[in-house]
Amino acid sequence: MHSLNTIFRAMGALTLSACLLAAQAQTLKIATLVPEGSGWMKEMRSAAAEVKTATAGRVELKFYPGGVMGDESTVLRKMKLGQLQGGAFAANEIAGVNPDVQIYGLPFLFANKAEADQARTKLDPMIRDGFLAKGFVVLGITGGGFANLMSTKSIATMAEVRNSKVWLPNNDRVGLMSFQEAGVSPVVLSMSDVYPSLQTGLIETAGNIPAATIAFQWHTKLKYLFDLPITYVPGFLMVEKRAFDRVSAEDQGQLRSIIGAAFVRMNELNFADDQRAKEALIKQGMQIITPSPEEAKAWREVGARAIEKMKAAGMFSAEVLQAAQSAMGKSK
Amino acid sequence: MARLTLVLLLTLAMGGCASVMRSAQQGLAGQLEAGILNHDDPETVRSGLPAYLILLDGAIAKNPADRELLCTSAKLYGAFAGSLLAPGERAKLLAKRAWSYGARAACAGDARLCELQSRDFDQIEALLKDTESTDLPLLRCVGESWSGWIQANAEDWNAVAEIPKVKAMFERMLVLERDSGDGNVQLYLGVLNSLLPEAYGGKPKQAREYFEAALTRSKRRNLMVHVLYAERYARLVFEQELHDKLLNEVLAAASEAPGLTLINTLAKERAKVLLESGKDYF
Repeated sequence: MHSLNTIFRAMGALTLSACLLAAQAQTLKIATLVPEGSGWMKEMRSAAAEVKTATAGRVELKFYPGGVMGDESTVLRKMKLGQLQGGAFAANEIAGVNPDVQIYGLPFLFANKAEADQARTKLDPMIRDGFLAKGFVVLGITGGGFANLMSTKSIATMAEVRNSKVWLPNNDRVGLMSFQEAGVSPVVLSMSDVYPSLQTGLIETAGNIPAATIAFQWHTKLKYLFDLPITYVPGFLMVEKRAFDRVSAEDQGQLRSIIGAAFVRMNELNFADDQRAKEALIKQGMQIITPSPEEAKAWREVGARAIEKMKAAGMFSAEVLQAAQSAMGKSK
Repeated sequence: MARLTLVLLLTLAMGGCASVMRSAQQGLAGQLEAGILNHDDPETVRSGLPAYLILLDGAIAKNPADRELLCTSAKLYGAFAGSLLAPGERAKLLAKRAWSYGARAACAGDARLCELQSRDFDQIEALLKDTESTDLPLLRCVGESWSGWIQANAEDWNAVAEIPKVKAMFERMLVLERDSGDGNVQLYLGVLNSLLPEAYGGKPKQAREYFEAALTRSKRRNLMVHVLYAERYARLVFEQELHDKLLNEVLAAASEAPGLTLINTLAKERAKVLLESGKDYF
């Protein structure tokens, strides 16, 4: 009897603490460079409202937009310290955590969105597993579009690109090795330095998706678009695993499902949006340079050679790349 | 206002000489603008203004190159679309009309400024270099109606792509104004410099200087300066203390101020909403 009482008391205590745990709202603080008012933030705020409703207020997503929490390395550090629980990142920004994420941005790996979608059926789960092993839960992956080279001067050939001052973002190893393979010596600058550097002539050529080119107002300087999509530009939303584990299994399911659905929606919207941005660039006077078949072939060969070198250098796992290529029917 | 309408209708019916008509219409337009801007009930203006806007359309049809009439109409259509209507198709339609009047006023005022919509950024910059302080009213009319159209179409890349042109226009106005402005140019530049975070090449520090200058120049009487400073800058850099301080100042201030009563009344409404939503935002 005594032991039964003890068990009942213990069960009561357990039930009570479980109730308290459930009643305690979990706030996931998520930082991003993306500014408030952007399509991405609108979608995220709408998903956050949906999460709050679906979990009866047990899970709240609180966003820190516009880079107010610092750059990606600061955000990752704050996530480790528990000051933030999540962040939205570009691939190169989180390659230090899981190098395989660089595969999305390999030059000319995907010819178009359909190929990227196909490859991602195999790639995404492997990337998610890789981050999970490092203590991060990826809640969403979305394609933002394809980056093209744009320039202040006409760039119809690889030789002209070599003669141009080409921008490369900080910490972009894939970009660096790709440009080096093409014989281009890029100028490494932070994103915020691109516009003033275009004004002063420190750089003449920059790669980006059309939508960002307009949003950052680079189009007032860049007059030519080399119409060969170089690289896929993905975005990731991930949270720190310890914080995610504090959320009940049921609410984790809601989070995954609601955020996942928002990212699937964005994946479709982003490409349509980018096409509209490209049309707007043309309307603003940007000239489209269509590469000759020989030029396009030469660029793709550069891309293939660069990928082989990156693979040989162990920049990412050959198995994950093989899985992505096989999903597209391109495996060797 | 009804009396003013009557005056205009009578003038039109009398078929007086063109200059008398123009003068009467300009007079009406100016008084209409003053009446609206000094009104303290947005709802009355919201429901009453459309009839007068149509009247102005009619006056423009008679005097298609009357720069002042075009500018007043651009301003009133712009205010109606941007401040009194909820964002949507109707706001877009009327902001487009405001901008078309602004563009026509530019062309009527200076032949070099015709077809502004089809000029690229470099051409606009070159045109602006030749403008003088006497062009300020025209530049203001064009810049404000153009920005209103961009604002109403913020999800259209064609509109977003025009932002640098408008920004160049306000930067030129700042140079031409020297120390004479009421802070409106600085207000626009504050907003335009708050669009992007620093990491993407935005200039929030510069935005703050513009907003502070706008507060000083408007003698803190234009409460929309406080509101936009809070909404665009303080939220961008996540400064809740500044955000709440500015908005509480709006709520504590009187709405009535010459030429600012309507905008201040709207600013108070917006300040309440922002203070409430700020609790979730910060």
